[in-house]
Formats: sequence, C-alpha cells, structure tokens
Amino acid sequence: MNAPSPALVAPRPERLRLVGQRRQLLALMHQRLMFAMLVYAGIVAIIALRLLYLAAFGDHAGRKEELTAFVPERGDVVDRDGVPLARTIDAWTISIHPNKVIGDKLELAQKLARLMPEHSAEQYFALLRSGKTFFYLRRRASPELVEAVNAIGEPGLAIDREPDRLYPQTTLAAHVLGFTNIDGRGGAGVERAFDAYLSNAQTRGQPLVLSISSKIQQALEAELGAAMQHFSAIGAAGVVMDVHTGEVLAMTSMPAFNPNAPGQGTPDQMFNRATLGVFELGSTFKPFTLAMAMDSGIVSGPGKMYNCPEVLPAYGHLIHDTHPFGRQCSVAEIMMESSNIGMAQIADQLGTERQKSWLKKMGFLDRVEIELKEKGRPLTPGARWGPFETMTIGFGQGIAVAPLQLAMGYATLFDGGVYHPPTILKIGPGHPLAAGRRVFTADTSYRMRSLLRLVVMRGTGRKADAPGYRIGGKTGTAQKLIDGHYSKTINLTSFAGVFPMDDPRYVIVVMLDEPKATPETYGFTTAGWNVAPVVSRTVSRIAPMLGVSPDMNREPNMAEVLPFVQEAKKQDSSKD
Amino acid sequence: MSSRSFRSVFMVASCAGAALSCYLVSLRVASERAALEDVESKIVVAQRDMRVLQTEIGTRGRLSQLERWNAGAFALSAPAADQILKGSFELAQLAQPERKLDFQAPVVLASAPAPEPQKELDVEQTNASVSAAPSSPRALLHEASLKTETREDLAQTAAILPVAAARSTDKPAIAAKLAKSKSVGKPGLAAAQPMKKPVELANRTAKKPGEKSPAIMLQTTRRPAKTAGAGEGAAMRKAPVKKSVDKPIIAAAKPVTKPVRLAKVDPLAPLPAKHSGNSKGTATER
Repeated sequence: MNAPSPALVAPRPERLRLVGQRRQLLALMHQRLMFAMLVYAGIVAIIALRLLYLAAFGDHAGRKEELTAFVPERGDVVDRDGVPLARTIDAWTISIHPNKVIGDKLELAQKLARLMPEHSAEQYFALLRSGKTFFYLRRRASPELVEAVNAIGEPGLAIDREPDRLYPQTTLAAHVLGFTNIDGRGGAGVERAFDAYLSNAQTRGQPLVLSISSKIQQALEAELGAAMQHFSAIGAAGVVMDVHTGEVLAMTSMPAFNPNAPGQGTPDQMFNRATLGVFELGSTFKPFTLAMAMDSGIVSGPGKMYNCPEVLPAYGHLIHDTHPFGRQCSVAEIMMESSNIGMAQIADQLGTERQKSWLKKMGFLDRVEIELKEKGRPLTPGARWGPFETMTIGFGQGIAVAPLQLAMGYATLFDGGVYHPPTILKIGPGHPLAAGRRVFTADTSYRMRSLLRLVVMRGTGRKADAPGYRIGGKTGTAQKLIDGHYSKTINLTSFAGVFPMDDPRYVIVVMLDEPKATPETYGFTTAGWNVAPVVSRTVSRIAPMLGVSPDMNREPNMAEVLPFVQEAKKQDSSKD
Repeated sequence: MSSRSFRSVFMVASCAGAALSCYLVSLRVASERAALEDVESKIVVAQRDMRVLQTEIGTRGRLSQLERWNAGAFALSAPAADQILKGSFELAQLAQPERKLDFQAPVVLASAPAPEPQKELDVEQTNASVSAAPSSPRALLHEASLKTETREDLAQTAAILPVAAARSTDKPAIAAKLAKSKSVGKPGLAAAQPMKKPVELANRTAKKPGEKSPAIMLQTTRRPAKTAGAGEGAAMRKAPVKKSVDKPIIAAAKPVTKPVRLAKVDPLAPLPAKHSGNSKGTATER
C-alpha cells in the first residue's frame, strides 16, 4: 500500500506536457502511416484489378489488329460481271541505301548494271558514291530479278513489298479506268473520279462496280482498232450504251495507253476522244433535227415532200448534196440518202430558238453528264447562231459534241424520248436508275425507228447491217476544220446505230478520225465505207452476248416509210 | 475447436480456389479466342493468296491475249446470225434422223409395192413356201428332210405335199387344201422347169439387200402367194420344187441353201402370224 497510486501522484507539469506532445506525435504518425498504407494498398489494388481485368478481358500478346477481313490498300475496280479491271497488289520494290553499302561499290555497280540494264555501271557507281541516303532501283520488280538481287547479298540493298496498282487487262478500257500516280492517287478516269471512294478505308473493301462489260469492250476495241489500222486513221472512238438506263457498256478511245505504265503514254494517247474530245459529227445529227421537227409539228410524217434542187442557196451561202436529188423528195428519202438540202429546209422551218431549246433539253449545249472528270464542253456557234447556222447544225455541221454525247442523244431518242444521264457505274442496289426526263414524245421515238432502219436497209448505211440484228442508224461524214477551212479530203466519219430496231435496246457509236481511202473503198473516205462495217462486225459479236437473238423475220414497221421512197435505184453508199 | 481455429484458413483457401478457377476459365476463353484469331488470320492470308493467283491468271489470260489467240492462232470468228438457234425445236430440225430399218414394224412396209410382181407369178408361188420355211427353225428342219425324198413318185409327192406345206407354214388346213387340189395336175417336166427361177430370184434378192429391206424381200417373195393362188399351175409347181422329182440332186439342193440365207436375215420377225393372215386372205379370195 506504500506505492502511491498514480492518481495521487501528480506528474510534473513538464512531463505532462511531454506526454501530450508524444501522443499528438504518435497520432500524427499513425495518421501518416495509415495514409501511406492506403496509398500503397490503393496502388496495389489498382494494379491487381488491372491485372485481373487484363486476364479476364485483355488481349493476348500475339493479337493482330483488324485482320478479320481482307481490305486492299486501294479498292478494286471491277466490270459489271465482276471481272477485275484494276487491283492493288503487293509488288516487289528494290531500293538501295548507299550509306549502308559495305562491299566494293564498283563491283556492286557492275552487278547491278548486269541485272538492271536500264542504267550503266558508271551511273550506278555515281549513284552509290553520291552520298544520298536512299534510291529506288526498281518498282514492281519481277520475282526473278528480286531473287537475283537478293543473291548479291549486299546489306545496303533493300527489298520490300509495296502496294502497287495493277490493271490486269492492260489497255482495255484504259480511258475509262484512268491511272494512278506514283503516290497511289487517281490521275484520270474512274481512278480520279472515285479517288475518295477507292482510298477511303470504310468503302475500299467493296469493289467499285462499273457498267462496263469487258467482253463488249474487248469486241469494240478489237474491231475499231482493226479498222483504225486498216484505214490508217489517226484516232478512233467508240461507245456502246444501254438505251433504257444510260449505262455505258463500252467506251474506248484510240490510240490507247497502258495504265500500268502511264508515264510512257503520249499526250495523244492520254486524250480521251470519247468524252473529252468534241467533234463535228456530221449527218449523225440529222435524226435529231427530224425528231425536233416532228415533235414541233413541222413534219407530219415521213411522207412530207420537200423540194430538193441540185444546189440550195441560203442566206448568202450555197448548200450542196453529195448526190443531189434535183426533184421533190420525201422526208424518208431525205433521211435515206442523207440530203443536206432537205434537212437544211427542215431546220430552217424549225427556227433558231426552237433548235436551241431542243438541243438544251437533249443536253447538247452542256458538258456531258457522266461521273468522269474528263468532259469536253460542246462547241456551238454561240453569238453567231443565226438562221444559216441553224441550217448547218440541222445537218450536223457547226456544232461539236463528244461521241458519248451523240450516243446519249440516240439513247434519248430511242428510249421513247426519255433522257437518262449516262453513267459509268452499274445500275443496281447501290446505284439506282436516275429519274429520266422526257424530251421527245413516244410517238416521235416510235416513228424514227423505221426511218433509221431504212437508212441501213436501203440508204447510206447498208454496210452497217448485220443480218438478223435489225440495226438502224445513221452515217455521218464531217469535213474537218483545218486552219479555219473545211477540208475537202480530210474527213471525220462516224456511225450511230441502234439495235434491235424493232425494240431498241442498245446504242453503238463509232468514229474514225481521218480515215484514208483504200482500194476496196474505191477511193471513198465516207462513213458508209469505213465505220459502217465496224458497226456490222461489232454488233454481230456483241449482240448475242447482250441477249439480242438474231431473227430474220422481225423488222420495225417498214410500211410506214417504204411507200414514200421512190424507185429503189442501186446506190453506192458514198454519201455522208 | 480445431474447425473454428482453421476457419480462416479454409476461407482463404476457398477464396483462392474460386479465384483460380475463375482465372482458369478466363484463360481458357482467351486461348480459344486466340485460336479463332489464328484461323481468321489464316483465312485472310489465304484470301490474299487467292487474290494474287486470281490476278496472275487474269493477267495472263487477259482478253486481248485471248483475242490474239482466237483471231491469229485459231482463226475463230463470231458466230453468224444463222448459227444461233432459238431453242430445242430448231436444234431438232437440224438433226436429220438416219433412216434405220425397224424390224418390229413390218406393218408400214407391208404395203410397199412389189418390184416385179407380174413376170414370175408362177415362180413366186414356190418362193412363198420357200420364204415361209425360214420363218421358224422347225421349218428349216423340215426342208432338209424334204431333200431326202427327192426320188419319190409323183403320186406320193401329191400325197405328201399337204403335210409339208402344212408343217412349213404352221397353218395346215388351207395350204393343204390348196396343194391337194392343184398339185396333182402336172407332173414331170413342167414340174422340173421352175427350179431355176426360184434360184434366180433368191440370188437377186440376196444380191441387193442394201436396197431392199429384209422385210420387203420377204414381202416380195411372199406376196405372189396371194395372186398365184388364182393361177392354175402355181400351187402345182410348188410341189415339184419341194420334191424336185426329176432333177438331179444339185438342182434340188440349191433352193434349200438359199432359204437358209434368207432365214438369217430375220429370224425374230413376227412373220408366221402375218403370213398366216396372208394365206388366209388368199384362201378367202379363192
């Protein structure tokens, strides 16, 4: 009991103060410790949770990105049947890093010159010693060359795979497809017009489906190319179009370039005569004038008579015919024999204003409506468009349009008079048929059938006939304007045909630029002799592919026009 | 006591076990997914390879190349309009069926006119029996037996003939009647004479089988049977042929061998019935 109870022993004041401080200190340290521990625990917990999350939902180390479907670097372009026309492939590229070369540079230069003889050994040596860091030696190298270069074993040589644009059909439809430049951007044609679609990662997985049919394109190119060579023409163009939809099934311009090596093409080869080039296509315009006159009520029918003298004086000029009638002739005869004098009178009755409004409605005064960027602006008399110009435009002189535009005009005329803008894309789910607009009445469209069939059966286009396929059409021989004057000898011949004429489905327009006379044409350079046979041969080839079956017993209603044709005398098809 | 003290250990262990099994499940899922991705990437690689090969084939077989081969090497051209047919009907019109003999259809051919009916009326009556004989193997046997009886008497001949005729044609009554009534009339030389003619006829028909159908041949030889019945000597001469009384054996042998050839032509044709019909016709005519 001698031990003092704590309560009885009063601590010394300083000691008391010390205890209080210690306690405070301890509490603070506990607090801090606790805080640090919580921080560590939190970090550990975060790491642990993250690990758990990764273990449960994370990707494994070997995971590849987005490889569930093959997406090319640039979208494919295919024809309407799915035949690839443009593709991106992985091509071998051989390049060199001159700084990294460790072997004998002279020896290397000699080896390179032996393998790739486009440069000499001296050039390769100079290149190696130039001090630059990187050179391309060859793009799109063949596997054999790559193997040989690899066998040199020089670490400075780099062999890589790079995406490269390949056009498997080479020159086929070159002007439609266009080309890509070295950076893989479209330089012309579809490649340029649809560059965004083809390079967009969202859309490039799906190929771009064109309305072109490669088989028809090939037939057209082969026949037209043969004719161009045979008649020593400087150029040619051809279009095949679906009358009802405006789809371009084939479109070619010659001479063509190889889109695989666009740099080697000459400007003449790169020029798209079918859409960018505008030409005075001559008498192929006459059906339009006649249709305008019929729709305007000027020409009541194929039996209307006009006075067709040997020479027609008009507004201070003289209008000639190659083979003048020198008598009264019917509209059917004017079409059949392609009379300028008769058609000029019809155009004169039509008048300038009405002609302009019709041409505007048909789309002949604007650039052709197609997706391609290469589109030529039609040439018209402009401010000089007076009554005489109206007459000349009536028979196809004085207005220059693209061949595609001419095909479009015929498609309008024979699709019951309804205009559909031409398109290079296949009409289908992703690209519905654009709404058409009526230009001519259906009756006019119907009556033109027998008139154009008459031209091929009896008139200037006899050589265009393909038995059984009921081609109707119109020849056109235009004199070329050289140094401001119409040349007497240099022509531009064209033929615009429609088949089968009893129920028009396809339009074909072919054009030869400056064809020369040959012995079998008896010195003529008119359309009936050089382009008309191309149409006949091409249609014989493509019509079965297009599902047009030959039938000798079907014709449009020729009884509408034949009564108005005087004696069917034997004619040569030398007129335009 | 012990369970109470180890409870925390059990808790920890079970928690760890649960976590581990969860982890294993997730590991399993991850590995499956990785395998799936491997397959997918393999598919993509295969697609790329296919594309490369397709591109190569397409480039090598490009249309301009095919056109060169078509036009240059093979000299092919597009079909002309008249080479394109609209349907199976036009195709069938093109295929002219080859004329073939139908042995099963003698009805149509039976009405064909006989080439030389009038001249050898008398002779062909014999042929009728001759051609009738080959219609069945049994008849052939019978002919052979006839040859052995060549030396017999005429009277005997007349008596036997009905039996022979009845056997050879499988049709007793009428033929027998016919033979009885007619054959007795003329004996000897007259009977011997027609021997050559059947041989000639048999030769002739045998020589040109290409021109005449076997059915027609049979018909020509058979047909006179109708008409010959009317003629007096026909049936009578039939007997001598069979019997060949006065002739040497060589002459008699000939008609026996010839029918064998004819028989080869059509052993299966339903001739007996037909024949019986014919001879029935003759019977009623008479």
